[in-house]
Amino acid sequence: MSEFDFLSRIPLGQYIPTNSIIHRLDPRAKIIIFGVLLIAITFTPSQLGLSIGIAALLLALLLSKVPIGFALKGLLVPLPFLLIIAIIQVFFYSSALDPNILIKLGKLNITSGGLLAGVMLLIRFAGLILCLSLVSFVTSTSELLHGLTKILSPLNRVGIQTMDFVMIVQVTLRFLPFLAQSAERIAKAQASRGSDWGQKRKGLFNRIRQVIPMIIPLFITSLRRSENLALAMDARAYGVLKYRSSMTELHFSFRDGLAVLISVVVSLAVFFA
Amino acid sequence: MPPLIEFDHVTYRHPGSEHSSPPALNDISVKIHQGEWVAIVGANGSGKTTFARHCNALLLPSHGQVLIAGQNTALKSNLPKIRAGVGMVFQNPEDQIVATLIEEDTAFGPENLGVLPAEIRARVDAALETVKMSGHKEQLPHLLSAGQKQRVALAGVLAMQPECVIFDESTAMLDPRGRLDVLAEMQSLHNRGITVLFITHFMEEAARAERVLALNAGNLVFDGAPQDLFADLKLLTACGLEQPSTVMLLREIRQLNAQLNHLPVDFEQALAQIPPYRGSHQLLSERLSPMTGEILIDVENLSHTYLPDTPLSHQSLFDVTLQVHSGAAHGFCGATGSGKSTLLQHLNGLYRPQSGKLRIGPYDFRDPRLDIKAVRRFAGLVFQNPEIYFFEQYVGDEIAYGPKNLYGKENLAKRVREAMQLVGLDFDKFKDRLTYTLSGGEKRKVALAATMALQPRLLILDEPTAGLDPASRRNLHGILKDYQESGVELVLSSHSMGDITELTENLTILSKGKALRTGNTADLFNDARLIDEASLGQPSIVKLAGALREKGWPIPQRVVRAEQLFQALRAVNTGGPHE
Repeated sequence: MSEFDFLSRIPLGQYIPTNSIIHRLDPRAKIIIFGVLLIAITFTPSQLGLSIGIAALLLALLLSKVPIGFALKGLLVPLPFLLIIAIIQVFFYSSALDPNILIKLGKLNITSGGLLAGVMLLIRFAGLILCLSLVSFVTSTSELLHGLTKILSPLNRVGIQTMDFVMIVQVTLRFLPFLAQSAERIAKAQASRGSDWGQKRKGLFNRIRQVIPMIIPLFITSLRRSENLALAMDARAYGVLKYRSSMTELHFSFRDGLAVLISVVVSLAVFFA
Repeated sequence: MPPLIEFDHVTYRHPGSEHSSPPALNDISVKIHQGEWVAIVGANGSGKTTFARHCNALLLPSHGQVLIAGQNTALKSNLPKIRAGVGMVFQNPEDQIVATLIEEDTAFGPENLGVLPAEIRARVDAALETVKMSGHKEQLPHLLSAGQKQRVALAGVLAMQPECVIFDESTAMLDPRGRLDVLAEMQSLHNRGITVLFITHFMEEAARAERVLALNAGNLVFDGAPQDLFADLKLLTACGLEQPSTVMLLREIRQLNAQLNHLPVDFEQALAQIPPYRGSHQLLSERLSPMTGEILIDVENLSHTYLPDTPLSHQSLFDVTLQVHSGAAHGFCGATGSGKSTLLQHLNGLYRPQSGKLRIGPYDFRDPRLDIKAVRRFAGLVFQNPEIYFFEQYVGDEIAYGPKNLYGKENLAKRVREAMQLVGLDFDKFKDRLTYTLSGGEKRKVALAATMALQPRLLILDEPTAGLDPASRRNLHGILKDYQESGVELVLSSHSMGDITELTENLTILSKGKALRTGNTADLFNDARLIDEASLGQPSIVKLAGALREKGWPIPQRVVRAEQLFQALRAVNTGGPHE
């Protein structure tokens, strides 16, 4: 892989149209399903529950027909951070009540409970990331937006404008690949003029210095682009009426209901197992 | 029925501009009726875009009023009707796509107008069908070509069922084929009775319209038929415009030879009516200079795939084999997506060959100890629209960035000074200027100097003249020719056939990631079938020379520039043999 292919490094936030059974679910169902799973995995205290949650995610991944290797690649980037957090957890697990000391390192004890807590944390975060990337693999941005619009629409009745909020989300998501492309071009332009792009420098200060020439043009191009985009949206009558209509009509079918039901049951199992 | 667009003594000042400075639009009154096809021309800063933005209430006049089908743009209650009635396609295809899927984007306008779902679906399908993008409905916008994005933008406008579509330099960033596509869309809109307004820098395009409005410093200085505008050389020069190259060519050759002085104004008709040659002057057998000289760049079976091993992988180069000889400027041309940029970035070491061989000067990429920085010192690369990515505030610092990285601080000021001299920027005057205050042409020169300051043996340019006005373009050609004469090798890619014919001796034509042919520039341009296969357009000068040659005129094969053609015709008159 080239050192400049930024786009490939962010599998998070990329829709992969495989038209699987999961892709075809109603977006509202998808949001709810992954939402409750996410909450359950985050808060479950039980090891068995966490294993059920991970198993459910892997099953969903399988059903979604997204290449598994590609999905797991998303875990590689945050892995070092997760490891550090997990290790801290291992050492500082309040071990007063745990008599099973495995290794003694001065004042620090590694207990079986601590080890378990570290591993749990690692798996929990991996599960969260997998869950989030799965949503983005199976839900196109537009589906996500339509789903959000519909789910949020009751708020309109109490006078909260949800249209602009959804539009902000949409434009942000639309801009992400553009930012990646711009970053790639800037890095290339600077590398071609002899910068040490791709060669990691020592020291925080130097690293920051390396990034600054990248941030400024990225900022400027983004500003200019958002100005142009705003103009184009104006020209296409955005905001001339209070409410927008939508091309997509969502149909919440029996299948969607069933899927939501299953996910709720699984989530309860994850939480209370 | 009121006219579709009516400007009634419209004056516009940019907010915050001083009252003493001239307004962006000055007392303009004009009427445009349903079904007209109008081109808007003028130099940079003449007010074309400001004019267009008044037509759908993106801007409101400071004085006077604009009426769209009789409705005043200043009234907010008229907005839905005006925005739906007058659609706009902008210059940069990237910046106007709102949604993350093509069909969703097309639906954006009608959704804003509160159209019912079933009706939106029907309109979206019809609009995408019209611009021939139905097959791409569910594609991601950032993976389309520029021409395709522009067609999507048009579909988004058409789905609002407008009475008028305005194109604001919508062809400026497209390759020749993309440009023709957009022009064809205009034609078909016009045929369906939709009013079309378009802003352009290309006089060939303006010539297609029925009516031209010329703006100069905010004043409407011409309103009439394109032929009349192009006949008025004095006015054209005053507005910073030029005749279409076809008009200029025909005018010159009519004067050069009595047999040709009856040729009609229309280029296609003129080509068909060229009389058979009745003279004694014969062409001596000519040989196009074969590609000679030491091989500077050797590419063999080079392939490249973006994002390999991911679901988004996409192959952009297929087994490319070609050689660039030293001492002869080498061009690359091909439609968008032909792999030009990917190839050029290989030549600078930004990409390493995934398969195949690559040698640039003394640097062979199979060598595991290859010093990539040395490659970049040897082969400097200037990107497309380089000025977008300036990151230093001051001109001097921007140019010094490269040499500082590669050569250190020693002699830095001298290197910067020399580089600025090469592009004709005065060191003392410009080094402390802020980069964003420069004009478009000056910015391009700074970007050029920033790479020249690396003192490369080989200069690689990706679309060096894209987005420049005709005067800056000519100026840049001069700089590059001088630079080449100082002994630096030149490799460039361009959509502009003018760049290629002016600057290069040899040429590689790329199409869909494959190198179709490499050879003498004139030779390749004369091969109409090859040019067509690569989705390029033959330059009008080559067409004209070819048409003359077909009727027996002694025009050498190597004619690709206007002055070469004139010289050949002059030789016909004097009767002296040449080459």
